[in-house]
Amino acid sequence: MENEIHQVIPIQPAPYSRSRQAGEAQTVLDHIVDDFQENPAAMQYFYDLFRGVYCHGDEIPHSGKLVGTTCIQAPEELIYAFGATPVRLCNGSYHYDQRGADFMPAKSCSLVKATLGMLSSENVIPKIGKPDLVVNPSTCDQKKKSSAMIEGMGYSVYDLEFPNVKESEASRVYWRRSVREFAEQLRKLTGQRLTRAKLKAAMAMTGRAQAAFRTLHNFRRQTPSLILGKDAFLVTNAYFFDDIERWTAAVEKLNAELAERQAAGFRAVQSKAPRVVFTGSPPIFPNLKLPLLIEEAGGVVVADETCSANRMLYDMTAVDEWLVGDMVDSLADKYLKPCTCPIFTRNDDRKRRLLDLVDQFQADGVIYQAFSGCQVYEMEYRSVAEEFNKAGIPLLYIETDYSPDDQGQLSTRIEAFLESLKNRKKRHA
Amino acid sequence: MNYFAGIDVGSTAIKVALVDEQGTLAGVHVTASGSLFHKNSTEALNTLLAKLGLQRAEVRYLIATGYGRKLFKEADDSISEITANAAGAFETGKAYGGVRTIINIGGQDSKAIRIDPTGNVENFAMNDKCAAGTGRFLDVAARNLELDLEELGDYHFRGDKAPLNINSTCTVFAESEIIGLLANGHGKSEIIAGIHYSIASRTVRLAKRVGVEDRVYFDGGPALNKGLVAAIQDELGRELLVPEYPQTTTAFGAAILARNDWLEENAG
Repeated sequence: MENEIHQVIPIQPAPYSRSRQAGEAQTVLDHIVDDFQENPAAMQYFYDLFRGVYCHGDEIPHSGKLVGTTCIQAPEELIYAFGATPVRLCNGSYHYDQRGADFMPAKSCSLVKATLGMLSSENVIPKIGKPDLVVNPSTCDQKKKSSAMIEGMGYSVYDLEFPNVKESEASRVYWRRSVREFAEQLRKLTGQRLTRAKLKAAMAMTGRAQAAFRTLHNFRRQTPSLILGKDAFLVTNAYFFDDIERWTAAVEKLNAELAERQAAGFRAVQSKAPRVVFTGSPPIFPNLKLPLLIEEAGGVVVADETCSANRMLYDMTAVDEWLVGDMVDSLADKYLKPCTCPIFTRNDDRKRRLLDLVDQFQADGVIYQAFSGCQVYEMEYRSVAEEFNKAGIPLLYIETDYSPDDQGQLSTRIEAFLESLKNRKKRHA
Repeated sequence: MNYFAGIDVGSTAIKVALVDEQGTLAGVHVTASGSLFHKNSTEALNTLLAKLGLQRAEVRYLIATGYGRKLFKEADDSISEITANAAGAFETGKAYGGVRTIINIGGQDSKAIRIDPTGNVENFAMNDKCAAGTGRFLDVAARNLELDLEELGDYHFRGDKAPLNINSTCTVFAESEIIGLLANGHGKSEIIAGIHYSIASRTVRLAKRVGVEDRVYFDGGPALNKGLVAAIQDELGRELLVPEYPQTTTAFGAAILARNDWLEENAG
């Protein structure tokens, strides 16, 4: 009798699709897909991909060793050259952000907290499998301090040393050496040798992905726009975990459709829709809060300067001599020279790039997102604002995080900003 | 006659304003928002129409603004309260030699807006997501002190002790700080003056972020509080222009924009 009372009732875990994470992803995807009209047909590949991975918990297959990266500064060409698969671990889920709050002070960056929250979870989504190695470039302080914590969760972590002054020759030498040491680490992990042919093939493969991205990027110069920014962000987010060749093929298909749209004189937005360049802390699915608020309010994001999209795919490697050592050095240069991350002491390149984007994409204004606690973006705002003030380009600064509770106020601010852009245009006309 | 309406569906109060074809204010009405935004908005509009003896059909164009602007489907258009507030303050300020800076404190947010000499929004700033330094803060404080909201202004000028420091910026924490001060035997008037200065210094910081230009216009419900006005003037080091009906500037601005839009659409 007593035994019966103390019996443990087996509790059936609810399926993943009933979890809070799945719910969060579902809400955002429904919003992206259903609340906008005439989405490109080729976007269906990406909608299905995200629905599968984030709402149903589909597993993502990979070949060779799995190398997780916490930042775009880890050269993926090298990882591919060793027959391993890179996967970007930077996470955008509010659910994981709350979970990750155990590891970091309250006012820390949502992205770092969410990444820690994801890695510490038994049920990692996206289901990439456990990385054989986590590469953590020593960029911002919060990422630096994550290394030991990630190791404490039972992962093997490699600190990829990254300089914090961009222009100096010492940094260049230091970083080149750092990348060579990373190659050595990959050799140990995979047991393979780095050859010219393999590295060349890896560079060609990422080169094709970059070319597809650049074509998409250039289609966004069109006025009125052919595609909305929310879709473009979804495309680049998919690059984090999708098979690179399948991804490239899907983007090429999308580009073909945009070419048809262009020929047919199609417009995805009203002709007066304010055109916005997005910069700052990176939007990562499901946290597409700001891009969605902008486009819901009748604006369109035409280009971005973020490490989850443009900065990840825009710059190509320029090789002088096709010898392994030189190729690795060229690769290192590609990851240092064009980088506009705010962790550097000075960042004039970022200001120049933003001004260029505004000019080339005929943007009416810029929206600058800083995650609360992302100090480098918060601090760099001042100098960016001064530059834009001088150039007479409107700039809206928004400090936010992954929580959805500030959407009411943010929508008011964004709408007011877009209204002022429209009025400005009217006056200038 | 043709009339144009602006309806400002705020977090605390619904404000309706009507203007005629010349842009002259015909009347205003203010009512509590309650929990039924849509029903109360419709009623507020109807009440004002009845008060002025007008028919709904005479309202040619209606623009909704404020927190609940999207919920009021009868509107012809909606616009953010920042643009509407700027339009209202610009129009009101004309008679006083023009306005370039606006401070607005509402029920759950506060903003500073800078406009150019033609009335267009040049820059603006808003408080972050909590209700610190907004009308809600005054509401909570009045309840702690067992006073009506309307009494706070007078208390500011009573007594002869210096205003106390209220350090907490969070409304909930400030509430316990106020209780602590009462428990230590401090008088209501110095606590109230302290509250006003705490809101004032936050608000002035916000205004400095957008850049203070020229005459400063102060509106929103809390502008009815003379003590708060005095505290902000003191912190800002400038005189404020406070309209007669500070709650309805944004609704008035929306009505002006409704009139302009209608005239533009029906030109020629």
